Amino acid sequence: MGGFVKNKLAEKRGYTYRLTRRQFLVASSAAALAACTPGAVTPGASSSVAPGKAIKIGQLLPFSGVYAELGNSMRRATELYLKQNDNRLANRPVTLVYADDANVIATGVAATQKFIDQDQVDVMMGVVPTPLAYGIRNAVHAAKLIFIDTNAGGNALTRETTNCTPSCKSPYIFRASFSSYQISYPIGEYLSGKGTKEFFLAYANYGFGTESAADFTTGLKKNGGGTTGNVAPPLGNPDFAPFVTQIKNQPTKNVYSFFSGADAIGFIKSWNSLGLPAAGYKMYGAGFLTEQDVLKEVKDLANGAITSLFWAVELDNPENKKFVADFQKQYPLLPDVFAVQQYDGMRALDEALKALGGDSSDKDKFVKALEDVSFKSPRGDFAFDKATHNPIQDIYIREVKTQGGQTVNTILDKVAKVSDPGK
Amino acid sequence: MSFELAFQQALNGLSFGALLFILASGLSLVFGMMDVVNLAHGAFYMLGAYIALSVVQLTGSFWLAMLAAPLALALLGLVIEPLLLRRLRGRHLDQVLLTIGLSLVIVDLIGQLWGREVRSLSAPPGLDGSVTLIGGVYPVYRLFVIAFGVALAAAMAVIYRRTKIGMLIRAGVEDAEMLGALGINTNRLFASTFATGAALAGLAGVIAAPVFGIQPGMDTDPGLLYSLVVVVVGGLGTLSGAVAGSLLVGPADTFGKVLFQDVALAVIFAIVALVLLLKPTGLLGRIRIAR
Repeated sequence: MGGFVKNKLAEKRGYTYRLTRRQFLVASSAAALAACTPGAVTPGASSSVAPGKAIKIGQLLPFSGVYAELGNSMRRATELYLKQNDNRLANRPVTLVYADDANVIATGVAATQKFIDQDQVDVMMGVVPTPLAYGIRNAVHAAKLIFIDTNAGGNALTRETTNCTPSCKSPYIFRASFSSYQISYPIGEYLSGKGTKEFFLAYANYGFGTESAADFTTGLKKNGGGTTGNVAPPLGNPDFAPFVTQIKNQPTKNVYSFFSGADAIGFIKSWNSLGLPAAGYKMYGAGFLTEQDVLKEVKDLANGAITSLFWAVELDNPENKKFVADFQKQYPLLPDVFAVQQYDGMRALDEALKALGGDSSDKDKFVKALEDVSFKSPRGDFAFDKATHNPIQDIYIREVKTQGGQTVNTILDKVAKVSDPGK
Repeated sequence: MSFELAFQQALNGLSFGALLFILASGLSLVFGMMDVVNLAHGAFYMLGAYIALSVVQLTGSFWLAMLAAPLALALLGLVIEPLLLRRLRGRHLDQVLLTIGLSLVIVDLIGQLWGREVRSLSAPPGLDGSVTLIGGVYPVYRLFVIAFGVALAAAMAVIYRRTKIGMLIRAGVEDAEMLGALGINTNRLFASTFATGAALAGLAGVIAAPVFGIQPGMDTDPGLLYSLVVVVVGGLGTLSGAVAGSLLVGPADTFGKVLFQDVALAVIFAIVALVLLLKPTGLLGRIRIAR
């Protein structure tokens, strides 16, 4: 590119490099020329049709930042599924395009636009944070891009909402994970139905935490239960002692909480070091409170906690046994719930493509085929709700126990076929 | 708020403040002496925590980790200062940029070496129990943290005011060039100051791990964020400033978060804004002459 020579006038004014008009023209026309060279994708070229042509899947996941391990896990699940199926979905080879959102919304939105304009992917998957899923909803909908959400659980993504605020469902958006209603409401209704009606709330103060707390409360009220108060630390709070101290100084012994990852570990450790179990307090929560990433750090400190989720690594069904065994054969670690979500997303896509004979060219038929998908997943029966595209799934009520040196979620009960109340 | 609750929250606030002091003291020292805002301080803190994790896994000894992590960080500081920072002496913005770059590299290397999962460390045996105080049981480890913070501040004050090293540091803070002109090897002084700052960050990584946990992102929050807040609130680059800053920020953040939980995230910045408004140099800061 035309080198920028030192400009005498500019130097006098105090800045060394200054573009003259001529330099600018040379530089910009060179850039324009470069954009026309082959290699750049020609817009408008027909994407996908024929069976046998590779299906291109854009995966938007965090590989850096605080959620990097979630992204890694979901990538492992994707690659495990492909390995089990000779790198083919239906009869088509697969091209994966990964993008790292680094848990920055703007980065994720830009990557989605790149999937649409430049990579021209056939299907998009992934997305960990709910705000990112909401942020890309309109772009995906406008481009009629099939998007299978494999984590973000915000209720609005698969619901009809006024003015589509903060987000709303789309024919092209499917969710293979869960809605926050599904992991919060059923346990509320279940517990109050069993006679435990009064709860104190502790939740991370951000969209997902408040949503979970509200859905849990609605579940309690179904059977005449209710809440007596709450503490809401900010997401990523470093010190949980002040909040646990507040809990200890109020009389309601049953505490429902929504925390995950580092927050969950901090909460459970403070809970124990401040002596809440001995004082008669009992811990309940949405399942992420006691997933393996947390349990392997807190171990028996979490014993007795009752949480709800649509899966547990200990779940006793043939699909799960095979999934866990295959995963461990491939990688030196246990699968987590994020891996299951991604694995089921791949499976749903595979089943839909098989039903279409591999032909993904007609978007409406593609949507219809996905709506009709149903299969046995490691989590149990899996099907999309035709009205919302959110999964219909069993919710398991689990209790943390230490058995033979291992701290695990044991299955107490299940709430069958829970669908999101969205329309 | 009952008396029992207020007492327990005050203890929470004090122990949080003590952790903040240990965390911020290194940043304050380096800034006071070298005029460098070391934005890699949070990454040093994080590295200390991960080294501690490995040492505890290998040897089972938390106390050994408390020696090994600061030592490792001191060595790293001894390499970084002459190799990188010294070349940019006097170019403040470039130094700040360099430390940002350094922190990115360190944090990424930690991800490569230790993985990106959430980890934790338990309090060492003997300190992992609880004692009964007013209003119920309280973890011994948090009392230990308070004691450790006080001891560290006292030790630093003695070194600062009563030893030759301390005299050199104070002189260096006043005017490093003049100190050089008087025949002191400022290169060596700066290298050892930077190494001490890094070691203090590493120490904070070990001591804070049982409370704050070990996870990706800890380099900025709580690491860099809280140490900058403490140093700015207390007064830039003085030991007494770091003490005052952590004594104010610890309890204020603790009480603020539980009393005004809807604006909990803003509490810490409200404190900074208020202090800067009333006293732009920080609580115990002095007006610095730009060099």
